[in-house]
Amino acid sequence: MDFGTLIAGILTLAIFTFLYRDNPIYRAAESLLIGVSIGYVLVITWTNTLMDLLFHPLFRRGDWPLVIPLLLGAMMFGRFYRRTGWLSRFPMAVLIGSGAGVAIPAMLDARTLRQISATVTPLFAGSAWADVSTIIVLAGVITTLSYFYFSREHRGALGFSSKTGTYFLMLFFGTTFGYTVMSRMSTFIGRVEFLLTDFLRLTG
Amino acid sequence: MRRKFPQLVCGLIGLLLFVVYFSRHPIASSINETVTREYWQIVFAFALLVGVVSFAKINLQGIERGEDRLYRIISLVGLISMPVLALIWGIGTGSPFMWVFDNVQVPMQSTVFALLAFFVASASLRGFRARSGPAFILLLAAMVALISRSDVGDLMSARFSDFAEWIRSNPSMSARRAILIGIGLGSLTTSLRVLLGLERTWLGKESK
Amino acid sequence: MKIESRHLAFIGLAVVVVIAMLVGGRPDLTPSADSVRMHEYIASLAPGSVVMVSFDHEASSLPEIGPLAKAFLRHAFSRGVKLVGVSLLAEGTGIGYRLMEETGREYDCEYGKDFVFLGFKPQWVAAIVAMGESISKTYPEDYLGNTYQDIPMLAGVVNYSDVAGVVSIADGSLTTHWMEYGHARYGITVSAFVAAAMVTTYDPYLASGQMHAMVGGLRGAAEYESLIGVGGSGGRAMLAQTVAHLYVIVLIILGNVVYFRSRHTGRK
Repeated sequence: MDFGTLIAGILTLAIFTFLYRDNPIYRAAESLLIGVSIGYVLVITWTNTLMDLLFHPLFRRGDWPLVIPLLLGAMMFGRFYRRTGWLSRFPMAVLIGSGAGVAIPAMLDARTLRQISATVTPLFAGSAWADVSTIIVLAGVITTLSYFYFSREHRGALGFSSKTGTYFLMLFFGTTFGYTVMSRMSTFIGRVEFLLTDFLRLTG
Repeated sequence: MRRKFPQLVCGLIGLLLFVVYFSRHPIASSINETVTREYWQIVFAFALLVGVVSFAKINLQGIERGEDRLYRIISLVGLISMPVLALIWGIGTGSPFMWVFDNVQVPMQSTVFALLAFFVASASLRGFRARSGPAFILLLAAMVALISRSDVGDLMSARFSDFAEWIRSNPSMSARRAILIGIGLGSLTTSLRVLLGLERTWLGKESK
Repeated sequence: MKIESRHLAFIGLAVVVVIAMLVGGRPDLTPSADSVRMHEYIASLAPGSVVMVSFDHEASSLPEIGPLAKAFLRHAFSRGVKLVGVSLLAEGTGIGYRLMEETGREYDCEYGKDFVFLGFKPQWVAAIVAMGESISKTYPEDYLGNTYQDIPMLAGVVNYSDVAGVVSIADGSLTTHWMEYGHARYGITVSAFVAAAMVTTYDPYLASGQMHAMVGGLRGAAEYESLIGVGGSGGRAMLAQTVAHLYVIVLIILGNVVYFRSRHTGRK
């Protein structure tokens, strides 16, 4: 067994000790994980972004307009001192403004209008079963939306609609739970496979 | 000045990116590319660095106060070791940096995630009760999904898997779609409020 | 040492999964319509066409994402499709590069000619939008530090219009951004291999046509492996997956039996 597998196996078992209860071995492994993960993000951000998008073009090729994002980035560190904290609002303005600007058309078009358009589709275009599905989807979207409409008391027709929406939501949550169980089990199975095959060498 | 000017910058950049969305003109493309790459991405990268510095600062303060000293030292050693390894030997395949990633970070991180399998199992035993009609539907849908995505679904009948797929692609999907439309409209409203200067929580409190 | 009821549930899960893994076995699977659709899509790509593969996941989901990514990469490499790897999450970088390199080697594919890994760029929306305008400006250098212009297979790849499609390999919601920004704005075809937990999140996009095809979870990986006729860890794990699902179902039934019995006897 190579040294890397030995370390990976020991650390895997250290994390699994949490299943009994919180303990110093788990906490030490967890602390190491947090530190290493942040260190990894730091290195990748530095090498993959700041070097090739900022420092190389600025200092090697003399792309001087990049001084502005460099200054904005540096202003971000103003947050660490009370007196200079306000400086970080400028880079924050860039981040928030950019996000909001591109989000408006995306949210309206891709997330809302296209989903509404996909809900309202013509009937009698395929089989009878396809029509039933279309009607169920339409009913599901309308009743679920009515469940989230809180400007009126849920009584009468709205009450019936929102209650029906609850059943659609439960179908969604139930299906999602099933798939989430699958995901979590897959991850656990992956770790068991590592322990049995690479670490303990019990299976081929 | 300290609040209004950043607010103005935010509104202008947002408006600029909103306007260029509707154009394929080379100038619009150039503006779009410059703002997203030179400003948004670079500033975001600095924001990540601020997070790293903040993490180091909080841990150093904790060590000074003597709170969880050993664990904080371990975290900081982990944090420092990665850039040091990258600086000396690089980040290519076979480098010590990638060795730590492959043999320390990946196994531990996926094991932390694997712990959830146990808690899901425990929750299934202790909390997944058919107390009401909707709860019963939730339980039934979960069981149908679980069976259909295992070999048992194949053994039972092809129709069972088809039925499970139909549930997922129609009634379940419709509820998710409604949630998505709601989120879309909410995000749209929030973005508009940000650009119009009505949403100012990101500016924080005025420092005295 | 105090053992509680949750510990018994934990031990039960560990025991059934370990036994299933030791027993092994590769069951016959009937591929779902989703897997068949993805397989047909990749098979329809002309050899030599460029596809972008985005590793939008963290290290935590590697046991589930790894088999999915490998199944896709094997199919794409075997078809002669040229792959451009990127990552919207820092952790996807190391994993994505290694997966491409390992799988590429199986098919004698050469770095720079048959595949390339550009690496990570922060802020997913910004990265997707910036690449829509210019991939070379967003990635002046690849993951290994080579200049974009010096990489032979990237000659002529300016933006999404030179790419046949993007395949997002994701454990979270990042594929959403590929559809809402990459597809809606630049018209790129988006497909995805996703963790099972995200399947229902993406269903509306699949139904609306914003996502072209989707394969989910370890079961999806096993189905895809059987479709391409190459064994992998997805198929190997299916028995354990089945046993784990049945174990959870038994726990749900057991919990409800106890609940209804206690309610019936008035003890609760």
